[in-house]
Amino acid sequence: MKIAHHATDDTLTLSLDGELDASSSVSLDTELTKPEVLNYRKVMIDCQRLNYISSAGLGVFISHLQRFQDAGVKLVFFNMQDKVHNVFEILGLDSLMTIVPTQQEATAV
Amino acid sequence: MAFLRKLTPMALPVAVLSWLGLLVCMLLRASPSAAAQWGTPPDWLILTVQALFAAGLFLHERSRPDRLRGTEFVALMRQLLVWPGALAAVCVVLHLAERLLASYVPARSAVLLNAFYVINLGLFVYFLARTCYTWRSLVFFRAQPRTRQEWRWFEILLGVALMFRLLSGDSIPWVVLPVLLALAGLGVYLSAHQQWIAYLNRRQKWEVVFLQLAILGVMAVFVVYFLSLQRDPQLAGPLAQHAFLVLTSFFAGFYAVMGFLVTLFNLPTAGVFEQKREEILSMQRLSQLIQKGQSEKEVYSLLFDSAVQTMEADAAWLDLGSEGSAPSLAFQVDTETREGICRLLADYNIGHIEYLNNDLPNSAGFRALELPYGSLIVMPLRSSKHHYGTLYLLKETRQGFDRENLSLLHIFTSQTVLSIENLRLLEESLQTERVKEELKIASIVQESLIPKTLPADSWFEIRWHSLPAREVGGDFYDFLQLSASRIAIIIGDVSGKGTTAAFHVAQMKGIFHSLMLLDQPAKGQPLQPSKFMAMANQALSHCLERSSFITASFYIVDYKERGFAFARAGHCHTLYYNAITEETFYFQTEGLGLGIIRDASYEKRIKNMYYDYNPGDVMVMYTDGIVEARNAQDEEYGEDRLRKLLERSHYLEAEEIKQSIIRDLEQFSRGLPPFDDQTLLVIKFKNAQPVA
Repeated sequence: MKIAHHATDDTLTLSLDGELDASSSVSLDTELTKPEVLNYRKVMIDCQRLNYISSAGLGVFISHLQRFQDAGVKLVFFNMQDKVHNVFEILGLDSLMTIVPTQQEATAV
Repeated sequence: MAFLRKLTPMALPVAVLSWLGLLVCMLLRASPSAAAQWGTPPDWLILTVQALFAAGLFLHERSRPDRLRGTEFVALMRQLLVWPGALAAVCVVLHLAERLLASYVPARSAVLLNAFYVINLGLFVYFLARTCYTWRSLVFFRAQPRTRQEWRWFEILLGVALMFRLLSGDSIPWVVLPVLLALAGLGVYLSAHQQWIAYLNRRQKWEVVFLQLAILGVMAVFVVYFLSLQRDPQLAGPLAQHAFLVLTSFFAGFYAVMGFLVTLFNLPTAGVFEQKREEILSMQRLSQLIQKGQSEKEVYSLLFDSAVQTMEADAAWLDLGSEGSAPSLAFQVDTETREGICRLLADYNIGHIEYLNNDLPNSAGFRALELPYGSLIVMPLRSSKHHYGTLYLLKETRQGFDRENLSLLHIFTSQTVLSIENLRLLEESLQTERVKEELKIASIVQESLIPKTLPADSWFEIRWHSLPAREVGGDFYDFLQLSASRIAIIIGDVSGKGTTAAFHVAQMKGIFHSLMLLDQPAKGQPLQPSKFMAMANQALSHCLERSSFITASFYIVDYKERGFAFARAGHCHTLYYNAITEETFYFQTEGLGLGIIRDASYEKRIKNMYYDYNPGDVMVMYTDGIVEARNAQDEEYGEDRLRKLLERSHYLEAEEIKQSIIRDLEQFSRGLPPFDDQTLLVIKFKNAQPVA
């Protein structure tokens, strides 16, 4: 699992590469826990290379969801593979989180 | 040398016979009357038997096994002295007796003198042989193979020297002088091999000094006797093997003198050697003891005691501060000194490194502390990963410790650290064993939580399969017969695996059974599945950690109504076969997992769904461990494959459908162990009437 950063003035983009399982979700959690993350207006998660997400990986997003909302930071997922999208959908997260097909749409949110 | 080995068994008989021969010859020559009758033996005969005798005795002694046992040097020398010492006494007594007798029987004095001469010569040669080969044991002690080679040359040259007298008669020709000198030089050189003295302690050194003196005394007695006899006109035969005897006596004497001197000069330093010995011994003791140490405390106090004793420290303490509450050890040191030194070392930032200061009164910082000590060693107890503590040793004298002390202490502490780490590893493995045992129990407990008996009824059939990926799992399912015609079924999955998940499973089971008490259809208040989910979510919100969530599907099947109500909270879609339409499909309902939103808004995200079933319908409920099972190519089993399988097998009984799914799953994953917990429920509705 590799996590690449890309930050502009008000947007932080994290590109996930690989499988987000119990062990790799720890490093993602570390990234999202950093206090400076809350300084951005929007955090975009690029899921193009995310092949798999386990319940622990979902747990990381779930646990930060409320915190982001309280701080007024938007969490947007884009470029999600069908398989991974299905996991979000089954759990009902698609209605709770902003998941858009492309980066343009994510930027527009 | 093989030749010599063949000669060896003959050496002693030859020596004895030649000595007897020598006695006869000398007596014949001493008494003219007998000589007249038997003839006078010539000089060369006497010299030959003398040479044979000496050669025989030396060869015999040479072939004796090494008399040195281990490092019992004192015993070896005592042995040498007891025999030759006794012999010297005999020699002296004989000599006196001979002088005494001679004054009474002057006529026979020549015979007596020669008889005693032969006896004493025998004793002296024996003494020399014995001494030479005792010295050989000492020379060879811890010697290089080269030394053995040199010794062999020494022996060969001695053998040659034995011949000289036979060939050249009385006087020593100038040609052989260099050979004799070389021999003497070799003797001196061999005498330098005195390593054995280093292995003696102080008491033994004193003993050796006196033993060497006694041996020299014995030698002197012989020498004086032979010198006095040399000029005696009554001596009937030619004197014994000059060069040979002189040289062996020289070697034996010189080695003894050297040994005596070396030992004598070693006496003042014996204390230091002994201390080193003591250090080595206590190190051995420590390494043996430490391995027996049962607890860390025991190991630490063993180290501390050994270090204080061996280093002869005047004050010491072992600081196990970083180990938290572990008690530290102290020896004749007050808190003030300890704190003062520790603070100073911390100031210099050398609190946790090896440190030796042999001149405290003249070092900046320490002078200000006005300590009554002169030397300090600081030795950390450390492995590559961990700092266990620090050992401090103090001595009143300056220059109290040396580099060797430091390295010895280093070995002490490494040994200790090794033992401590071993103890901890052992403790850890015991702990692991205990945890395994507890997991086994947890697994048994969880197993007992799974319903074993079903509300058996003729209107439906239910079969299940559950396989946790580890000892305990995060999947759960349960049934509860609400009334004769209603039954509640729940299946779910706690995020994560293993023990934490298992705790939440138990919690979920409790919530399920508690909430079912709220179901009161008789009062017109049947429990709605969405209400159930909302209340479960509320209950869980207080006891589920933030990153955990639970997915569940909940059904209440009503036979009277021929239908079921259900809700899905983020759980896998239920697979359904409708016997009327002959369609196989997944129920696509919306619903958020439990614990994701923890406020009242959750209820809005759960939908109730109602469905009328027909006899022959099949419902397959499962957890994601089934559809996310992977094969060697890392492909997922998937919902489609499951649906297609049910399309083919829906006509079978519930048990057979379950088996076909398990078989297909095994075929798919081809023996790969389950990555996640797998749970499967198969329900088939029947046409029969319920039992009244």
